[in-house]
Amino acid sequence: MPLPPENNEITLADLIDDPYPIYKNLRANTPVASVPAANRILLTKANDTRAVKDNPSLWSSNDPNTPMKRAFQAHTLMRKDGEEHRREREAMMPTFSPRNLKTKWAPAYENYVLEYLDRLPKTGVVDLFPALAGPISARILADVLGLPDATDAEMQHWSQALIDGAGNFGWDPKIFEVVDSAHEAMNATIERNAKRLRDTQDQSALAVMINADDPIEWSQILANLKIAIGGGINEPRDALLTVLFGLLTNPQQLEEVKATGIWGAAFEEGIRWVAPIQVSSRVAREDTQIRGFDIPKDSIVMTVQASANHDEDVIENGHLYNALRETVPHQSFGSGPHHCMGTHLARRMVGKIMLPMIFDRFPNMQLADPEDVVWRGFGFRGPITFPVRLN
Amino acid sequence: MAKVTFISADGTSQTHDAKEGLSAMELARNNGIADIVAECGGAMACATCHVIVDEAWAEKVGAASEGEADMLEFASSEAQPTSRLSCQIPITEALDGLILHLPETQV
Repeated sequence: MPLPPENNEITLADLIDDPYPIYKNLRANTPVASVPAANRILLTKANDTRAVKDNPSLWSSNDPNTPMKRAFQAHTLMRKDGEEHRREREAMMPTFSPRNLKTKWAPAYENYVLEYLDRLPKTGVVDLFPALAGPISARILADVLGLPDATDAEMQHWSQALIDGAGNFGWDPKIFEVVDSAHEAMNATIERNAKRLRDTQDQSALAVMINADDPIEWSQILANLKIAIGGGINEPRDALLTVLFGLLTNPQQLEEVKATGIWGAAFEEGIRWVAPIQVSSRVAREDTQIRGFDIPKDSIVMTVQASANHDEDVIENGHLYNALRETVPHQSFGSGPHHCMGTHLARRMVGKIMLPMIFDRFPNMQLADPEDVVWRGFGFRGPITFPVRLN
Repeated sequence: MAKVTFISADGTSQTHDAKEGLSAMELARNNGIADIVAECGGAMACATCHVIVDEAWAEKVGAASEGEADMLEFASSEAQPTSRLSCQIPITEALDGLILHLPETQV
């Protein structure tokens, strides 16, 4: 069988700017394509991305050729498989239990929403990215992780430093210097809070990990918290702004959502439409084939869930936001053993709490100009500016 | 081997042979039953492999654990008294003939 066709026209700059037309073309013509700019084989059809994620015995998460280990100063659970991954993941799972979500994190988040909405300027144009979406995502995450004394600014800085480091494929030493100094600050904060939380019944991630009967290694406790910091701010932030964009640019849908209260559907549709985490990588453990193409052992495939969510085989007009469409499964939370741990937290916080509360408080909110909303990102994607008039 | 029958919300049914050791979720997925989405692959983290155990089998299958019952609250179709996550039902000889009803939606 042949190797997947190579596409040398695609550039990283194009993918960062707007990958969707590229993915549409790939789905139609070369759904298994080697893309040298990304140094990966891109899979853009829903069946293929799902099949890879669901078969960890063939597809390993341990991609050794990324800057992630250097950036995180650790081999993290994101890049582990099997028992080792399961143990480190389960160490944090009690924090994310439905019970804790209902009795602790959701009520805390509701209070933060009230407080952070109160703070917004009532007149003029306000950019909701720095004024709301970023800080509130940082605040609740600090609580959930057991680091309540970390400021919103610190949490956001650490998160961005980790993301920039993990994406530092050019191995620029300056980027690693920034993340190294962030590690010093994170480690100090984590150690300080570990002393406070030792032998308590606290349900934060740090507390449940250090107080477990058979705790995982301290190095992996640190790594787990940093993975949560690296991924737990941008995703709810980008999800919120994406859904708001979908609703504010489709006022009839917004009216219907307000009337019927289907905020959960509005949220799911937003993250389907523009997945906050657009791609993931897996490594072939042995020679295999996809759609008749040879995929040699050790090849790295990129499952493009952003594209899977627009796949014409599973959805009509997937390029359009439509909160009223019939529900279809999407892959934005991934699938298989690495299925997003924050799924239910995000659904509850952004979908069920923030959306109705923000439209209740600011029923006349409007985008200053939809053209001013700038979207960006290949690995992670969302609006990076979000100017609105609240009243 | 044990036979397990899955009955969809629209009434259509299909029966499959399960090797011991498989979970009901894995059996459904191996046979392409699209009504079992099983996003998390059996980590009890997602509630998209929700089934309603036929009342005649409820006792033999047993009740959901506390964590499973909590997770079922996130199911897209409201949980019933005999609801389970199919990833948490290991198929054994004792369950030969088991009947599982599929909810209207999983997502």
